[in-house]
Amino acid sequence: MSSLDRPDDFETRREHLRELSDEALHARFWHLVQGIVEPLVEEARTHTSPGIERSVLLRMGFTSAEAKQLIDGMQEQGLLGHGAGHLLLQLAKRNNLTVREAGEALLQGDYWGELQP
Amino acid sequence: MKLDPDNKLDILEVLQDLEHYRPRRKGWVWRKHVPEQRIGPFVYQDSSENLKNSVPLPAAEYFSDIDPQCDLIITTEIASGRFEDDLRRMRMAAWHGADHIMVIRTTGQSHIDGLIEGTPEGVGGIPISRKQIRASRKALDAIEDEVGRPINFHSYVSGVAGPEIAVLFAEEGVNGAHQDPQYNVLYRDINMHRSFVDAAESKKIMADAGILQLDGAHNANATAKEAWKVTPELFVQHAVNTAYSIEAGMDAGQIALSTVPPTAPPAPKLRLDLPYAVALRELFEGYKFRAQQNTRYMEADTQETTVSHVLDTLISRLTETDIQSTITPDEGRNIPWHYNNIAGVNTARQTLMGLDGLDQLLEVKQDGPFREQVRELKERALLFLEEILDAGGYYTAVEAGQFVDSGYYPERKGDGIVREPDGGDCANTVIAREDDYGAPVCSHFGRNSYADKAGKPCADYGGCTLCDPAKIRYIDEVDDEDNVLQRLKQPLAEREQGLLRPEVEKHGDGVVCLTLFIPDEPHTAKQAALELALHMGLNNPEVINQRIMHPAEGSLFEIKGTVDLYIEKQALPAYSQIRPLTDNEIEAWVRPRDIHIVAATVGEDEHTVGLHEILDIKHGGIEKYGFHCHNLGSSVSIEQVLDKAEETDVGAVLISVVITHADVHKQHMRNLARQASERGLAGKVLLIAGGPRIDDKLARECGLDAGFGHGATGREVASFMVRRWREQAA
Repeated sequence: MSSLDRPDDFETRREHLRELSDEALHARFWHLVQGIVEPLVEEARTHTSPGIERSVLLRMGFTSAEAKQLIDGMQEQGLLGHGAGHLLLQLAKRNNLTVREAGEALLQGDYWGELQP
Repeated sequence: MKLDPDNKLDILEVLQDLEHYRPRRKGWVWRKHVPEQRIGPFVYQDSSENLKNSVPLPAAEYFSDIDPQCDLIITTEIASGRFEDDLRRMRMAAWHGADHIMVIRTTGQSHIDGLIEGTPEGVGGIPISRKQIRASRKALDAIEDEVGRPINFHSYVSGVAGPEIAVLFAEEGVNGAHQDPQYNVLYRDINMHRSFVDAAESKKIMADAGILQLDGAHNANATAKEAWKVTPELFVQHAVNTAYSIEAGMDAGQIALSTVPPTAPPAPKLRLDLPYAVALRELFEGYKFRAQQNTRYMEADTQETTVSHVLDTLISRLTETDIQSTITPDEGRNIPWHYNNIAGVNTARQTLMGLDGLDQLLEVKQDGPFREQVRELKERALLFLEEILDAGGYYTAVEAGQFVDSGYYPERKGDGIVREPDGGDCANTVIAREDDYGAPVCSHFGRNSYADKAGKPCADYGGCTLCDPAKIRYIDEVDDEDNVLQRLKQPLAEREQGLLRPEVEKHGDGVVCLTLFIPDEPHTAKQAALELALHMGLNNPEVINQRIMHPAEGSLFEIKGTVDLYIEKQALPAYSQIRPLTDNEIEAWVRPRDIHIVAATVGEDEHTVGLHEILDIKHGGIEKYGFHCHNLGSSVSIEQVLDKAEETDVGAVLISVVITHADVHKQHMRNLARQASERGLAGKVLLIAGGPRIDDKLARECGLDAGFGHGATGREVASFMVRRWREQAA
């Protein structure tokens, strides 16, 4: 629980807003929102998660169960930062397999040693 | 798959060949506003295209059975726990005007780190799986053909498996979804880094699939101690999710703010809620508005709830609204029963049709306290934003308990929800993308080496599932016991045998609701009510609503319980399938023909009420169709009746026979038949009898043309006469 307990000091806090037109108030509102959202968006641009990577494998034609198993394995090897789909596609290309075949091979325990970007 | 209004939805047909079913479209569909639309006797300002099949509002029978549809989307939320039962409820709701079907997820799905497969049963909603939503979408595709209007299917892209669910929804043609990372953080205690990172991916997928997004701000209304004080924060929550969604690639027209008028009477609702609603629409111009009805102050009294929801809907009409969401009036006392979904939908459509063209009649006064309140709310919200930035950003503000504090911001009570940036479910699961990070799929957010190349990111291997749906892999069932076919065994067997049980939620749940008034003080009355319910055969009776009428004079109770009873359809007595004609049809025949009727209560009989009900315009009787009625009164002889009939050249004779001792009623009817025949009136004049102990079979046996028993209406009598005359004329 926060220890913050504060009376309603709206009248003093609003001083700097009082003279703003509605348009200016709206513009300021959205400007501040943008300032709050930007670092969050930047984190999303530069990070991923097991959920995102599983969703990539779903889109590459794997079932949810297969995607989970593949992502768990890649995470154990600390490889997810390269992108699960990227790892899989590169593996397929190197071994002349389809993406599906590469995934199935991994599911059977093969190729894990060469799963490098 | 094609539905027939006279037949039940065939669940087995829905399940058949499901592995190959593809949704017919992606994306959200709005209703088409038809300006100045003539429907029946009226011209509507705010209506949309009519339905092919529907159940009109009850009063429609007085207005040529019209069923005008408002121009807002109407939402209903469904949560039975079994999708196969949900489907029947969806069909009923669609027939009553719902075109946004929101399927609630089972408790706990937010914390499942992955997709659920198969068709397990849920609690308070269904587990969202590919099979369940594909089956639902398939059924809805058939239902939308039946009613003649597109139906938007909706669920939730929240929890720790958000991006996977978003892919699933994009693939399966789900049209709308809640997506708001703040909901994960505040209400599900899911790690905030994970929630926001995942949300960007989910939103990008939804954006490309045309899925309409609802945010989660309305949850603050529902959880705040005093919901009207959380309003400044609501602007902030809407804004954070909106700005984040735009950054993730959504169009403004795809972003719907989920907004709830925060109070309910006895609070001065409009005075508090309208400034808030207007301030919101001014700050968020260009976005869509999903107006939700209030749940925060719902008690067990469904009528009180309904009145609040009518006022909520009035606020929707006074402001700009795109979707009118409905709450079932029983949500304050149980998981919604299916007929209450319909009740909620009807509250919205009845109110909205009643308010048609409201903006031609009035506008909100802009001078005086209203405008000041609007301004104050915006300023309070802006101050909230300033404090977030001063605190060091969103994460630190949440950590400091700035959200869902019960003070009217900037007032603070110190009781806000506190979450640690490195805590919560799935903490430390966000991973930095390496320099070579890549995701060779469409609808991916953020840095991606495959997005830098020419062509689609998925081109290297022939396309992702979003480009080539044939690549989608379908899992049917994963559990031999907990699946739809197992659950359907009993219902299908019972349907085969023609057994009928009462239900409120799931097939054959046997739940019934009893209303009774007990004339004693509340506690004694409650005990007595429960005891009576037991005597009436209700198992596990439970008071779901008690309203004190007076502390000593008594209370009203609604009691639910279960009955382990069924009826065999084959054993039911046969009933007449004849439906009365519409008022318009009857009048169209009668009025131009100047038809006279003679009527009387015959024999030594002073009863006159029944006959008045059939004849008098005041009682909805046949006078209103243009009949000239000659009511000779009571204790009239058959001779007098027939004298009058000859004198005025009537079309029909109506006799009322109430007394039945020594079979005197049969005697009167036989007398009428015999004497009419002797006078040569038989075949020219319709001979009709009515009374509490009369029925059609008996009257015909006595030589008359028709008989009408207890509960018969003037419309039924007139329908019979007009039908007979039409036949004779043909």
